[in-house]
Amino acid sequence: MNKRKRQNIFIALCLAPATILFLIFMVSPTVDVFRMSFFERGAYSKTENYVGLQNFGVLLKDTRFIVACQNTIFLIVVVTVVTFALALFFAACLTREKVKGNNFFRIVFYIPNILSVVVISGVFSAIYDTKNGLLNSLASVFSGKTVSVLWKSEELVVISVAIALVWQAIGYYMVMYMASMSSIPESLYESAGLDGAGKMVQFFKITIPLIWTNIRTTLTFFIISTINMAFLFVKAMTSGGPNGSSEVVLSFMYSQKDAGLYGYSMAAGVVIFIFSFALSALVNKATKRETLQY
Amino acid sequence: MLKRILSVIISAILITGLFAGCGEKEPMAPKLKVAALSSGYEETMPGMWQEICDAFTKKTGIETELILEKNLEDVIGASMQGGDYPDVVLLATGREAGLTEQLIKDKNLEELTDVLNMTIPGEKTKVKDKISGGFTESVATNPYADGKTYLMPMFYSPCGLFYNKGLFQEKGWKVPTTWDEMWELAEEAKKENIALFTYPTTGYFDSFFFSLMYAVGGPEFFNKVTNYENSVWETEEGKTFIDIVAKLASYTNKKTPSQANDQDFSKNQLMVMQNEALFMPNGTWVVGEMADAVAADGFEWGMTALPAVEKGGDAYAYTWMEQIWVPKGAENVKDAKTFISYMYSDEAAAIFAKRNAVQPIKNVSNFLNDENKLFYSVYENGAKAAIGNFAAYKSVAGLGNPADYFFAPINSLVSGNITKEQYVNDIVKATDQMRENLLNK
Repeated sequence: MNKRKRQNIFIALCLAPATILFLIFMVSPTVDVFRMSFFERGAYSKTENYVGLQNFGVLLKDTRFIVACQNTIFLIVVVTVVTFALALFFAACLTREKVKGNNFFRIVFYIPNILSVVVISGVFSAIYDTKNGLLNSLASVFSGKTVSVLWKSEELVVISVAIALVWQAIGYYMVMYMASMSSIPESLYESAGLDGAGKMVQFFKITIPLIWTNIRTTLTFFIISTINMAFLFVKAMTSGGPNGSSEVVLSFMYSQKDAGLYGYSMAAGVVIFIFSFALSALVNKATKRETLQY
Repeated sequence: MLKRILSVIISAILITGLFAGCGEKEPMAPKLKVAALSSGYEETMPGMWQEICDAFTKKTGIETELILEKNLEDVIGASMQGGDYPDVVLLATGREAGLTEQLIKDKNLEELTDVLNMTIPGEKTKVKDKISGGFTESVATNPYADGKTYLMPMFYSPCGLFYNKGLFQEKGWKVPTTWDEMWELAEEAKKENIALFTYPTTGYFDSFFFSLMYAVGGPEFFNKVTNYENSVWETEEGKTFIDIVAKLASYTNKKTPSQANDQDFSKNQLMVMQNEALFMPNGTWVVGEMADAVAADGFEWGMTALPAVEKGGDAYAYTWMEQIWVPKGAENVKDAKTFISYMYSDEAAAIFAKRNAVQPIKNVSNFLNDENKLFYSVYENGAKAAIGNFAAYKSVAGLGNPADYFFAPINSLVSGNITKEQYVNDIVKATDQMRENLLNK
């Protein structure tokens, strides 16, 4: 056996555990999701009936699923844009400016990220309370009359969930942006300053282009994490209500499983899978730039 | 060479590590696997089910293994999908995860009709002679309506409208006995800035709707609605029913829908205790659930049956009950049945009653405390017992549960986002499909 061959065997053996785990726990269930979406079956029964594409046909006409899709897309767009803007802004403030208590703010922003969703939904239950809630009380103080906005009513519930999602996510992305921002050499800013570039120009012409690779990565994170986190928040905060108005695609999928429609819920899973894959690819393609070096 | 040996050893260790835990289980004496939902009864004073299992083992010599979880569906659901079934399960229908319903739909329950003829361990009576009348005759226990029992009745609780007795005394109001009196009271309360009605979540409408169906048109109307007959909404009774629901929605505290979720439902219950709403549908467990809440001065729980539709008409209170059953696939069916028969013994009833869990047996009043006696006396004070449920139908993609069409839209009715007509139309459209897929056609 020559050296090269031995080396290859060693590499293969080292990679084997991870590959086997990946095949067993990621690839095979995913393939199974696709297979089961063509069947009609309950979660606990062993009998399956092949129904072809029927599950998908019904799915596209199911008003509940359409509402769930609308809510999910709304959340992906709004939460991504707002979190992205705020996280960048705070990261720039904390790295570029000499803010007093720099570390303190860093911790404060990061704390929501380590809280469990159940705790956050408890916190927001208190914030959104109609009678004694933080938001309504503040509004009452400033307006001088009793404000009783129903934050979890049909009209506002998705926005309320979005606020909680943004609050939870900012710290994480802020820390990621701060890490890449602090590696930008100070000299670039100095020379730009000498050339008369203001803070805004520096931010858009130096900071953003130089952390672009990082931003692209986080955009994919945003899409995947919003789809996942929205499910957790909706489960804990609103139970999908009132009357299904805050349902998201994953909570829809989950509830169909509970209704005894395993195949149908897998069909929803397939749609979500393809959707998030396609969206991530699209975003990746659209944000492709030449990597800048410094 | 040494390097090569080392690398092979390391990889071998890593790969064997993968399969660790996949080995066969040690052979053990088969224990009776009892799975029970850890509900409010268990939470208020833990140890109830362990006590039951120990007493059962002492009486019969059958060893038990207890699975007690708040999220029982997630625990046994996963292992059942893997083919590992518990022998006895206490899990009622009507829960969000609907595990019991799914087993009913798939006909995956063991028939328990013969348990009724078994003798209770340690006693001389047969099970069927001990269970109170009416409990083993509805679709709640005989889901296919063919006279065969698949689920046995457990803890029951009268459900009705809960209110603040202190407030009624203070204002000199009378608890309404007809819906007309109810609407008069609503106007009266409006002047005091109190809404007539609230509900914890729309899920609590099951007891309310079933009672109202009986009150409006008796058992006949109830059977028609729960078997999804559409013509029923054209009849006088159907219209009265929808009118009452819609009118009640208009008198509901406007905050209710935004708090009608699993997170905030206790805020809705608190509204009754703090005089923001007069009535809510609920069960006797609410007393323990809200024991630590701050109530208005002079607050005292009161419970009434649903008002009658006309003067002198029948008032109904729904009997909510849990079920115990044996899944097909259980290994120890014989012992499981013995365990279920033991549930109706005096010994078991006494252990349950310590936690306010009340068994549907004839001599149960011997075990009740004073507060519970008051609630359970609702039937002695003239209210009739309403029992039953929506008929089971085969799951159809795109068609939800009856609760999605009957109960959940009430949130939208209260907030004014749908009209009464839309509400009925959606019900009619859905029930057409449900009727076609009935399991006992």
